[in-house]
Amino acid sequence: MRRIAPILALLLFAACATDATPTTTTVDSATTTPATQPAPGSIGPASGFPLTVMADNGEVTIEKRPEAIVSLSPTATEMLFAVGAGDQVIAVDDQSDFPTGVPTSDLSGFTPNLEAILSYQPDLVILSFEPADSPVSEGLAATGVSTLVLDGAQTLDDVYGQIEVIGKATGNQEAATALNLAMQAEIDEIVSDTASSGQGLTYYHELDPSFFTATSETFIGQIYSLLGLVNIADQADTEGIGYPQLSAEYIVSQDPDLIFLADADFGESAETLAERPGWGGMTALDDGAVVELDGDIASRWGPRIVNFLATVADAVKTHASAA
Amino acid sequence: MSQTSTPTLIAPARPGRPALGIAVAVLGVAVLGGLLVGPARIDVGGAIAALYDAIPGFESAHGLTEVEQRVLFDIRLPRVVMGALVGAVLALAGAAYQGVFRNPLADPYLLGVAAGAGLGATLAFAWTGNEALVAPLALAGGLAAVVVTYTLGRSVGGRTATSLILAGVAVAAFATALQTYVLQRHVESIREVYSWILGRLVTVGWVNVLALLPYAVVAGAVLVAARRLLDVLGLGDEEAIALGLNVTRVRWVVVTAATLATAAAVSVSGLIGFVGIIVPHTIRILFGWSYRVIVPLSVLFGAAFLVIADLAARTLVAPGELPIGVVTAFFGAPFFLIVLRSLRRAS
Amino acid sequence: MIGWRQVAVAYEGKRVLGPMTLEVQDGEWLGLIGPNGAGKSTLLRAAVGVVEHDGDISLGNGRRRMGLDVAWMPQRPNLPDDMSVADYVLLGRTPHIGHFGTENRDDLESTAAALASLDLNDLSHRTLGTLSGGEAQRAVLARALAQEAPVLLLDEPTANLDIGHGIEVLEVVDGLRLKEGLTVVTAVHDLTLAGRFADRLVLLSHGAIVAEGTPSEVLTEELLTAHYGPGIRVIAEVDGPTVVPVRRSNDR
Repeated sequence: MRRIAPILALLLFAACATDATPTTTTVDSATTTPATQPAPGSIGPASGFPLTVMADNGEVTIEKRPEAIVSLSPTATEMLFAVGAGDQVIAVDDQSDFPTGVPTSDLSGFTPNLEAILSYQPDLVILSFEPADSPVSEGLAATGVSTLVLDGAQTLDDVYGQIEVIGKATGNQEAATALNLAMQAEIDEIVSDTASSGQGLTYYHELDPSFFTATSETFIGQIYSLLGLVNIADQADTEGIGYPQLSAEYIVSQDPDLIFLADADFGESAETLAERPGWGGMTALDDGAVVELDGDIASRWGPRIVNFLATVADAVKTHASAA
Repeated sequence: MSQTSTPTLIAPARPGRPALGIAVAVLGVAVLGGLLVGPARIDVGGAIAALYDAIPGFESAHGLTEVEQRVLFDIRLPRVVMGALVGAVLALAGAAYQGVFRNPLADPYLLGVAAGAGLGATLAFAWTGNEALVAPLALAGGLAAVVVTYTLGRSVGGRTATSLILAGVAVAAFATALQTYVLQRHVESIREVYSWILGRLVTVGWVNVLALLPYAVVAGAVLVAARRLLDVLGLGDEEAIALGLNVTRVRWVVVTAATLATAAAVSVSGLIGFVGIIVPHTIRILFGWSYRVIVPLSVLFGAAFLVIADLAARTLVAPGELPIGVVTAFFGAPFFLIVLRSLRRAS
Repeated sequence: MIGWRQVAVAYEGKRVLGPMTLEVQDGEWLGLIGPNGAGKSTLLRAAVGVVEHDGDISLGNGRRRMGLDVAWMPQRPNLPDDMSVADYVLLGRTPHIGHFGTENRDDLESTAAALASLDLNDLSHRTLGTLSGGEAQRAVLARALAQEAPVLLLDEPTANLDIGHGIEVLEVVDGLRLKEGLTVVTAVHDLTLAGRFADRLVLLSHGAIVAEGTPSEVLTEELLTAHYGPGIRVIAEVDGPTVVPVRRSNDR
């Protein structure tokens, strides 16, 4: 009996430790990202916590698994729901709208109001933007609420990193890792599928009708570069700003093969472009190679960048078949 | 007192051939520069040939590609024409305001036009996000502000020039405060509004030129015709009345014409500052005191000035663009210093 | 002629002139005299529409076109520094030029005549800012003369002129009056000078006419001391009354 007891104890302990119930997610399957349903993460009241994560506001300690998360960043919202932390979210900012059904509130991500945020009694707040003159994270930290600041991603690796951070901070680390792998796989597939059709094609990415654009140095520009596309703004950005303003004359004379409108939500389209003085007759307009982008997908750096890449790949393939 | 022999008859003030010649030459050079220079790098000889060819009845082989022709005729040409038109309007309106208010540093935005137009544009960007509504709302805002200024100035302060200017200051302050409030509530439109406020001739096509043209021509004709009256107004209201001038009506007509043209210009090009002060005042220093000299030369030099400023705006950081209001302010600030120095030396 | 009928003027609610009635015949020279603030300038300003007034002001031909039918030389003119004397006098032709017209040969000739009559030919190209007080005052008068109006209202036309220039200027005006049949009304500080040139004098005090008549009738010690104050002696001479000041205390 003496020898069985420790083994029984060990077995019992092992059984408890691996006991897992699948987490439920509130992600609507119709609007799910191309990544597969997030794998169930381990939940036990104290599994992994307390822990520290590295965010853009430094090291943040999270005492226990957050159950009342407030997200003030539409990208963070998408990431939260994609890693299966949707249940744990009690409020998101007024610009967060994906996936459908997220608890949108009046909270502003641009001008965060400390008191308004605290009225939700959060245990974790995620921001992408902090106004310099009224740092919200300090105020929240003073009241004992953990805050993660996750700035705009500069590279694809930043995106994966942020997903990992969110996964770890919310106790959904495995789901996060799985999501990242799925995203990488999809991206690789799109790239290889497009092969060399995109190599050397020139493009213009319009941020607004006064010709602000993003060069290939920016995050969004790097996505285009995955397919070998060449950004007409690169040689124009002598200052290295990343988001230079071009002139109509320059764009017309460069005559890009593809035009992507990130300002389509504000009414820009192939028709409005044709009305601009000097634009009628441009190659991209004649070939029907003007793509109206979903403004959200083109401006966030969450799991849906895969959708964005797919849209660009479609445009490349259309151009290749038309040639 | 000895009676001298019959004196030679004096000649009334006029610009004189040298001044006019310089003005036309400068304008010509400015226009050519505006047409031939730009980030699209069109061969100068080919461009000149293409322009020549475009004149009805003249032919010339130019060898420009289709893209280059579109850049030259659909982008650069309307832009240069617009620059000349706006520059002429602002300088002319500035000269008119300086004459009517007897203040050599008055500018066309004095009665609240700028603030009103800015408010209209802000509302267009913030409430509708529809760029096509910006120009009409800016025009309406500018005119509304001046109407309010005029009503306030007359009812509250009497009919003097000073009360009008003070009313204009109050209206401008109020409109600006409103504008700031709206922007605070619609933070995402800040960049668009700011870019508009700094002035731009960026997306100009013939449509925009035609929108401004009637205002510019009508108001311009009225103001140029009224130039001698501005000299009479320089004697002060009382003496002008005693000389038979209906001072109130003249002032009203001149202010209305100048304001209408300014509001129309602002609605298409945003707020371009300093032109309305620099150009007429420089002409006054260089060419003479009379508005019969200042007014016509303001039209020519104003047009040239803005075309050159626009050229600088789109070549200094090519292919990006500086807001043209930045360029005019860049010339304007040192100008004020020079004026101050010359005034100090004179007194 | 020019006539004020029951004319009254108030500044900021306080009555400063009238109601008063006064008529000046064609070709007559009327001198307005009176202490400071009596209302002399106000009377003239009302006539050219510069101040609002009750009552009725009329000129001989039934019309009162400012500048054309009546010319005004202000007491405190605006003299733009950069304007030349010739340009300034030319502005006197404004009433003759339509709103959008320009000067014709007549205008240039009238201007030249006005400049010559006030001995301004040598100064015609100087700017107003460089003139002495007296020279500038001659330019202002020249401008009024250039208007060629049948009625001339001159407010202190000799205030800045030395005695010699003062006499010469008034002689010029008188010569024109006789030649063209002008009606002249002057407000002149110098009582003797006023008496020498005017056909008739009107003494104003506190906005009302207190005496009216020939210079000998009005320039009396009794009237003058009553309205100007003590210390005035009037000496009758062949040309007319001479008004001299008398020191109050005589122990010197």
